[in-house]
Amino acid sequence: MDRLVALCCPLLQHEGERGEEARRFSLVLRAVDEFCPWVEPVALGICTLPARGPSRFFGGEERLVDQLGLAVNAVLGGTGPVQVGVADGLFAALLAARAGVVVAPGETRDFLATWSLAVLRRPDLAVTLQRLGIHTLGQFAALPARHVLARFGGEAVLCHRVARAEVGELPGVRDPSVVRRLREVRGELPEVTPQTGFFGGASAGDVRAAQAVARLQSRLGPEAVLAGRLDDGRDPAGRGRLVPWGSRPEGRRHGGRSTGRPAAPWPGRLPPPSPVVVLTHPLAVDLVDRAGRPVRVGGSGLLSDAPARLSVAGGPWRPVRRWAGPWPASERWWSGRRRRARLQVVDGAEAAVLLAAEGGRWWLEGRYD
Amino acid sequence: MFASVGQGVRRRPALPAELAARARPVSSAASRLLPLPAALVPLFPDGALRRGSTTLVAGSSGAGTTTLALALLSAVSATGGWCAAVGVADPGVVAAVELGLDLRRVVFVPRPAGAWADAAGELLGAVEAVVVRPPGIRVQAARRLTARARERRTALVVLAEDASRWPSERDVTLTVGDVAWEGAGEGHGRLLGRRVAVIATARRPAEPPTVHRLWLPSSDGTVTAGRSSTTVLATTSAAATPART
Repeated sequence: MDRLVALCCPLLQHEGERGEEARRFSLVLRAVDEFCPWVEPVALGICTLPARGPSRFFGGEERLVDQLGLAVNAVLGGTGPVQVGVADGLFAALLAARAGVVVAPGETRDFLATWSLAVLRRPDLAVTLQRLGIHTLGQFAALPARHVLARFGGEAVLCHRVARAEVGELPGVRDPSVVRRLREVRGELPEVTPQTGFFGGASAGDVRAAQAVARLQSRLGPEAVLAGRLDDGRDPAGRGRLVPWGSRPEGRRHGGRSTGRPAAPWPGRLPPPSPVVVLTHPLAVDLVDRAGRPVRVGGSGLLSDAPARLSVAGGPWRPVRRWAGPWPASERWWSGRRRRARLQVVDGAEAAVLLAAEGGRWWLEGRYD
Repeated sequence: MFASVGQGVRRRPALPAELAARARPVSSAASRLLPLPAALVPLFPDGALRRGSTTLVAGSSGAGTTTLALALLSAVSATGGWCAAVGVADPGVVAAVELGLDLRRVVFVPRPAGAWADAAGELLGAVEAVVVRPPGIRVQAARRLTARARERRTALVVLAEDASRWPSERDVTLTVGDVAWEGAGEGHGRLLGRRVAVIATARRPAEPPTVHRLWLPSSDGTVTAGRSSTTVLATTSAAATPART
C-alpha cells in the first residue's frame, strides 16, 4: 500500500459562484509541487503526494508535514485551515490529515480503529452495523471476513478490508472532474485566434514573415508550420511544445529566456542544457545491465543495476558509457498517474540521450544532438 | 558576505561584448551581416553570418550539429530577426530558448515531407536565416536553394551528417567532432556540457581551416568558447597559434 501524504483545504472543497476555490486550489497545488512532482489532486481542495521520496529529502515525515503546512498556509495567506497527515493508503491518509498526525508505517489499522463508521460514507451499512452494536472501524474490522460477505455483500467487504488496512481506498473519493476544472482555471483549454497584433507594432519584416507562414500553412496544412511555446511542465516535452503557428497562447511566458520559477527543492525539473531534440512520439528503448537483465527503477527511486547497453526501437545495441539519474518526474502532474523517472545516458560514441522510465518500460524522449 | 555589504554601491560593469553586439539593431535590410553569439564569431571570416551565404554544418548524429545550427540563429533571433528551421524533426523548444532564440520569431517546419525544398524556398527571403536539414539531397535542388538564398539575401544553414553530402557550393563549412560530455559519471552528476572541436573552412579567403574548441552547449544551455583558443589546423602539433585576432 502506498504511503501517502494527504493535504486538505476544507474551505476549498466546495466551489462557490465566483469559482475562486479552484483558482486558489491550483495555487496550493503549485506550492505543493515544489516539494515533489508527483502531486495528485484527488478532489477540489484535496491532494496527495507519495511520502517516501520527499520525506527522505526533507529529513523525515514530520518535517515534511510541517514544511507543507507552512508553504500552503503562505499561499492561502492564513485565510483557511490546512490539514496535513501521513498514513498508508488514501483512506487513512485523509483521516490522518483531518487529525493532523503522522501514522507510523504498519500502524494504520490501529489508527483507523477508533474512527466512527460514518467516515466510510456508507450510511446504510453504518446503520445496520450500529444495530448490531458495532460503532467503530475497529469493531467492524474485528468481524471475520466471511461473515461480512455473507451478511452484507460485496460493497461491505471492500469497506471491511479498508477498515483492516488491507485496501488503501474506497471508490467515490476521487473526483475525476477536478483535472478539467484545474485546467480551465489555468487557461489550459485550447483556443485558437490569429496571431496578428501579438507583436505590437508589426515591422515590415514581421509582415513579410507572416505572409510566408500563411502561404506555407495553406500549402502544407496549418499543423505543419509550428511555433514553439514554453509551459510550466517538468519534462522537456511538457515544458516546451510546438503548436500550429497562429495558436494564441495564454501569453504568459511566450518566447524570451526561460523565466521558470526559482529552482524547486525537489530535482524534478532537469536544469539546462535541455535536449535539443525532443521526440513527439518517444521510441521504446531496451536498457540492460551487464548480465543482459532489463534495468528497472525500483520503489526507492534507484536503478536495479548499472546499465551496460541500450537499444533504441529494436536497433543495434550500443554500450552505455556513463549515465546520470534517475530523477522522478511526471508529465502533467494534475492529469493522472504518469509517474516517470528520467535518466541521461551517454553512449559509446559520446552521443547523449534522455530516457524516461514509465510503467516498467524505457522510452527515448530526447537527444542531445 | 560581509565584504559585499561593506562595498556599498558597486560600479556597473562594462557591457560584455556579446550583449553590446546584441543591443545594436542589426536586422535592418541595409546591413550585410547578421550577428552571431560571441563564441561563434571566430568561426566566420566576416565575424558574422553574411546574408545570402550558405553555411554547412556537418557531423555525426549526436555530435551537436543541431545545437550548433540553432546557435547560429540565436543572435539573429535575439536582436529582432526572423528565423526558420525546416526539416529539423522534433526540435527541443526549451533548448532553443536556452540557446537564446526568441520563440516569437522562429518558424518551425519539422516535417515538410516531400516539400522540404519548397518550404525552405518559401522562407528564404521572408526571414533572415533558415536552417534546413534535407532528407536526401539532389544536386539540382541544392543548387537552386543556395542560389535563392544568395538572391533573397537570407543566410542559409544546411545540416548534414557528412560534408560531402551537400553537393553544392557553400561559403563556410563547420565540421563538429572530438565530442566529450562532461558532468555525468557512473550514475551520478548530470550532463553539464559538451566539449567539441569545430573545424571551420571558409571558401573565401582561402585560408587553412581553423579548429575551435567550444562548449556546445555549456551548462546554461548556451554556446561558449572552450578554454583553448582557436588554432590553425596545420599547426595543431605546435604551440597553439591564434588564427585571427
